[in-house]
Order: sequence, then C-alpha cells, then structure tokens
Amino acid sequence: MLRKLRLISQVLFFFLFLVLLVLTSYRGSDEIRYPVRIFLEFDPLIGLTTFLASHQIPLLLLLGILTLVLTFLFGRVFCGWICPLGTLNHAIGWLASHSRGQHPNLRLLSFRLKYYVLVFFLVASVFSLQWVGILDPISLLIRSMTLAVEPIFNWLVHGLFALLYFSNIDLITLWSEPLYDVLKGSILSFRQPHFHQGLLVGLLFALVLLLNLVHKRFWCMVLCPLGGLLGVIARFSRFERLIDDSCNECGACIPDCFQGQKESLPRGWLKSECLVCGNCQDVCPHTALRFKAVGRSSASSGGPNLARRNLILSGLSAVVAVPLMRVRAGELRPNPKLIRPPGALSESEFLKRCIKCGECMKVCLTNGLQPTLFEAGIEGIWSPILVSRIGYCQYYCTLCGQVCPSGAIRTLSQAEKEKVKIGLAFIDKSRCLPYTQGIPCIVCEEHCPTPKKAIWFEEAVVIGRDGEKRRIKQPIVDIDLCIGCGICEYKCPVVDQPAIYVTSIGESRSEQNRLTL
Amino acid sequence: MGLPFIVCLKALWQSRSNQVGLNRRDFLKKSAIMGIGGIVGASSLNDLIRAENLPDLTVVQGPDPSKTVAKAIETMGGIGRYVSKGDTVVLKPNMAWDRTPEQAANTNPQVVASVVKLCFEAGASTVKVLDNPCDDARRSYVQSGIAEAARELGAKTPYMDSRKFKKTGINGEVLKTWEVYRDIIEADKLINIPVAKHHSLAGVTLGLKNWMGAIGGWRSRLHWKLDKSLADLAAFFKPSLTILDCVNVLTANGPQGGSLSYVKRLNTVVVGIDQVAVDAFGAKLFETAAGRPETANRARRYIETAAMRGIGRMDLENLRIVTLNLS
Repeated sequence: MLRKLRLISQVLFFFLFLVLLVLTSYRGSDEIRYPVRIFLEFDPLIGLTTFLASHQIPLLLLLGILTLVLTFLFGRVFCGWICPLGTLNHAIGWLASHSRGQHPNLRLLSFRLKYYVLVFFLVASVFSLQWVGILDPISLLIRSMTLAVEPIFNWLVHGLFALLYFSNIDLITLWSEPLYDVLKGSILSFRQPHFHQGLLVGLLFALVLLLNLVHKRFWCMVLCPLGGLLGVIARFSRFERLIDDSCNECGACIPDCFQGQKESLPRGWLKSECLVCGNCQDVCPHTALRFKAVGRSSASSGGPNLARRNLILSGLSAVVAVPLMRVRAGELRPNPKLIRPPGALSESEFLKRCIKCGECMKVCLTNGLQPTLFEAGIEGIWSPILVSRIGYCQYYCTLCGQVCPSGAIRTLSQAEKEKVKIGLAFIDKSRCLPYTQGIPCIVCEEHCPTPKKAIWFEEAVVIGRDGEKRRIKQPIVDIDLCIGCGICEYKCPVVDQPAIYVTSIGESRSEQNRLTL
Repeated sequence: MGLPFIVCLKALWQSRSNQVGLNRRDFLKKSAIMGIGGIVGASSLNDLIRAENLPDLTVVQGPDPSKTVAKAIETMGGIGRYVSKGDTVVLKPNMAWDRTPEQAANTNPQVVASVVKLCFEAGASTVKVLDNPCDDARRSYVQSGIAEAARELGAKTPYMDSRKFKKTGINGEVLKTWEVYRDIIEADKLINIPVAKHHSLAGVTLGLKNWMGAIGGWRSRLHWKLDKSLADLAAFFKPSLTILDCVNVLTANGPQGGSLSYVKRLNTVVVGIDQVAVDAFGAKLFETAAGRPETANRARRYIETAAMRGIGRMDLENLRIVTLNLS
C-alpha cells in the first residue's frame, strides 16, 4: 500500500518536473506564468547555502523550510517520494537489479560520505563560496536535462521527422507532419539547442545514473548533499519504523531496501538512511513492520556514526578550497568574454548566488546563454555567459532574471532592461566589409535594437583598385548607447570571425570594468 | 533582342497568373502547350490591366485600416479577381521584428487581418501568413500582433521550418540560386503586404525589400548588391497583388525604430498588381507625406533597377492612379 502510494507520488512529481522544465521557455508572454523553479525553491540546501554565502535569502527560497519540516515529521520522504533525480535513480536501479547482480552490500562507511560532502559545501558557503549547485540534485538534474538531455532528445526527434518528411511519401507525411506539429507545440524546443559543455555535463550525468549499477540509488545513499542534509534532520524525525514480535528475521525485507543487506536487517535499520519507500512494509510476510508517527525520537536508530576527524577534515578542505579556487591569475583583470546576463549582480555577488542550475540557459530565447568552463574560474564553472556568436540578448526579453532561483540575476522591468549594459561592441576594421573592401553593408546597424541606434555611420570616400571613387557608409559604435546585446556580432555577415564583437567592458554591474568615466 | 523577349515573357507570366483560375503552375503548362513564340508579342502587363479597365494603382486614405484595404481592393477589381475558390493563399506581411504595432516596424495587423478576411470571402481554402523574421520568430509573431489577428480569422501562422527552405533557381543577375520557402513557392496565390519604413541602406523598404523575408540562408549578404538582388527577387516572386501599408510609417532609425517619435500616421494603403509601381508610389509618399526626400531618392535606385528590367513601371505620371479618401 505504502509502496503504491509512493510510486504514484514519484511518477506525479517526476512528471511535474518535466512539465515545468518544458515550460521554462518563451510561451508567447513576456512573463513566465508557471512556477518553473519550484523544485529549486523547495530545496533547503540551496536556500541554506545561498544564505550562508551571500547573507541574503531570496524570499521564495524560504519554501525549503517546509521541506525540512516535512523531513522532521516523516523522515526522508523528499528523497523517496518527491525528488525527481531520486525517482530517476530509483527507476534505473530497479531496472538494473532485474538484469544483473548489484553489489549486495553498501558499507556503512559509504553512507557517511554524503555527510562529509555536505559539510564541505556548508563550510565553503560560510566562506562565501557557493558551489553546492555542482552536486545539489535538483540543480544537477535541471542542468543535465538542459545542457545534455534536451539537445539530444531534440536532435533525435527533429531528425526522425526530417527523415519522414524528406521521404516525400504522402502516406507517411500525412500523419507524421501533424504529429510533428503537435510535438513542436508542446515538448520540443523551438529550435535545436546547442550548448558548450553539453558533453561534459552529459557524461557526468550518465555517471550518476550508471552508479545505480553498483548499487541501486547509489547517488542518493552515498553522494547527494541534499540527502545528507535531510538525513541529519531525519535522525531526529518523529517517525519510526516499528517492528512487532512477529518478526522472525526472515530477511524478506532485505533485497528491496536501499540500505543494502546488512544495514537493513530489521534491527539494524537507520532512520537517516531510510527513504520511506515502503518496500519492507509491503513485502513482510508477517506484517511485522509499519511506519508510524511517534511522539518523540528514539536515539537507537538514528544514523551512521560520523567520525569527528573526517568531519573536521572535510570542513578544513573547504577552507582550503576557497582560496585554491579564487586565487588565480584570471582574477587580476576583467575577462572580456565574461558577459553575464542582463541583471546579473556584480561578479563576486553573482558567484555567491549562482547555483549553476541552467534555468537561465534553458529559458534563453536565442540559445545565447551558455555555461562557462573556466572563464569565471573553477568557482564559476557552468555559470551563464552570453556567447553572441551563438545567440544574442533580445532587447525586450527579461526571462533569465525571472527564472533565476537565487537572485544571481535580478528580475528586470522592461524599462530597466533597456538601460542595462552587459558589454560593449567593437568593430574589427580589418575584417569589416565597408572598411576593408568598400562593400556596402549595414547589417549591424540595421539590427541594432536601441531606438536611437548605437551604431551610426561615417560616410567615407574609398578608391577602388580601378581608381573608381565610391561613397561608403562605415559603421561606428556609440559607446554611450551600446548595451552589448550582441545582435550585431550574431548577424555580422563575416560569419566565421565577426567583424563586430562584444566584450564585457562597460557592463553596468561593474565599477572597474569601464571604458569611460 | 533577347532582353525584350524575356521582359515580355515575364510580364505576361505575371499578368496571366493574376487572372482568375489560372495559377503559376497552370500557366507554365499552358504556355508550354501553346508554344511560347506565339504569345510573346501579345501584350505587356500594363496593357492587360488597361484592357480590364483597372487602375494601375489604388491609393486609399482613411482612419480605419480595414475599410481602406477593403475599398482599395474593391477598386482594383475586387478580391475575386485575385483569389479563387479553393486557393491556398500565402500572405507575406513584414513581421520581422520584436516590435509592437504602434512602433510601425511591422505591417499593421489590421491591414493583414482585413486581407485574410477578404481571401476567405473569395473562397480561399487555406490562408497562411508567413515571414522569416530577423528577431526571434516567436516574439516577432506575437509582438507584431499579426499572428493573433490572423489566427482569429482562421488563417494559419506557422513559423518557418528549416526543412522547407529549398535551394531554388532564381536565375537573376546576381542571385542564381537561393533558399526559398517551399510554402511560398507552392502557394496558388501570393499577396505581398509590406510596410513602408526607413532603412539606412535601401532608403525606404517597401514591397521589393519584403521578399527578403521569404528566403532563408545568409540573407544579409544581399546587401552587398542590394539593388540588383531586390530586382532578382521581385522577378522571381511575382505576387498576385501588392498591398503597401502606409497607415503608420517609420520615418527614421528603421527598420526597427523603437520610439514613437519616429512614426508618422499617414492612414494610407497603396494597392497594385505592378509591384514596382506600388514601390514607386510608396517612395513618393515617403518624400511628400513623410518628408524624407533623400531616403526616397535612395529607394528609387532599386526601384529603377527593377523597372529597367521590365518587372514593372515607375513612371507614375503615366499610370492610372485612383485616389480615394474615406475620411
């Protein structure tokens, strides 16, 4: 019974997660009308670390407290019943356990690992390093889905329907095209997404999933820092697995338990490691097991003993990790390629909040927001930058700020957006056609979106090889008006290495990275 | 000798394809059967218009765009002359930019809507409203107000699909082949609904320049030889009708504008079969009513290029222009 309810809950929440992920896109309205970041908001680890690192907390992240209360009452039900990455691991672990033998026993020691991971991230955030997004399950899942899974999915589906379309057989296209239209209007991306780091993020995601072959829900039991945080709370939860006298230690409950063999012997049950999946209750031939709310916690079945030495060690490693990541030659000068989304806070404040979830990249209209690798140091890995050659910042769009869960990108009003500079365009006169070839080209000016255009022309007389004089308009960037949106770079007909390009200088969010007074 | 031959043939094609019940494919078939030589000398486009006693251009002014459009098309012989029962009609407005109707960077949605309505009244089976926008297609379709207005009346407003751009023989002077959108090539009738706007290279963009939204590929390359490219495109596309929206014209910082101070309300639509004549009149309107003579002069360069090729006429003084005022 409990198992069935849990299964229904998992399916529903996973479905909700996918629906919200699909809805994290432009749907004909300037505002995102659905609570697309709600899983992140209910993630207490993100709320806690954001608070520790930035000493501020976006109001919505307080929803994470509800998850903590839920855990205090019922144990790690978030992991067992709600978490979409948990569900995915659950499903794969289940499939794997039916096809081949898994490691029968997870040693107690490995359960402890996630608590050390948790301590590392918490201590790091106390020292203002917000790095939890690398392993936070919700953040990891959204990032992996956005950067790796969705591009693959779209490529396959678009490819399939292109194949059918070009077959040019009416019998096929008659049904395939309407079906394709339905898919395009619902689950497919508007255009094929392309992301830097897609391969790396995808491989790491595959690794997380493949760990289920070692042991089902390996990630949840061993590595997940959110699992660790909820495990700490669950130790003291008002929820118990009660075993009555009819238990003869037959062991029927063992194979289906995520805790593995030894640990899940009825008397060896660990509350902090229990996902409240209900498997044991359902399989027990003697109905000796049941989960029940109790008045107060019993200390006997809390969780694994954590070695104080190891806790200190992970804390200390976090202390060392902060300068190790931060003290780098790259921090001495602003990085020209570090063009942050409009509304991004100043770099240090931005990094204290960005959890690298990829929501902004998912929602970006033009696919221009891309994950970094080392542009912002290893600290800022997978944080968003605008790569204008891939896509530009649409003048009237404010979606990235709307979906950012942690306030790293502010939500801008339309009027604010029009004024925010994210960089500045420069013309490469050695490549620009009017300058080098005397060929008329106004494409950058034509696309410049500011009402009074940030690109204007100087009319020059050029003499061709034949001695013929021609009047030609040569583009010039107005540094006061240019907002750095990058559409000029994106549209430049010199397609391989554009003759106009944007760098981060002049960005509103920085006081140092300026060109003029 | 060759040039006049081609000119006549093109003009004939254009005029013939405008006749009721005869689409391009039929025309191609018929002319092949009849033998081209026999009909080449028959007439020119404008002679045919004369023969039907139609004006070369109709210019209607009035506060309500849907009324002015309806009146103008009625004066041009009625929509039934251009759209037949069962036709698949493609309307090509300019909805290239993430701008609202009052900013006048896209065709006025009311103008497009009234054409959609007329097409259905004439018995069109399908009306598609299409463009290949410069900005994000979704935002352009929405912000222009055109997609919603057209859909409400039953038209389809699909986004262009990359699979449907077909490398097509343009056989022009500079454009030999280019990616053209399949739905546009395959439509029974094609109606061009441009908006008159300022543009830093073309001077004013009108009907001919609007064809750049019917093609794919790296279109920006066309700017290098804009005048000839536009003539090539005009010779290729041959609309049944051109409806130039001058309800609100963007007089500066085109093609996007952005500030309402650049917009001038002229409340006018210009309708004609001869797309070059429509553009010539649009340029004149930009010179007189909008007060931008220098940009109009620039536009006349590509209009002249097209006129010289016999795609249409720009000698407005010799054309029969019906001017009406509904206010």
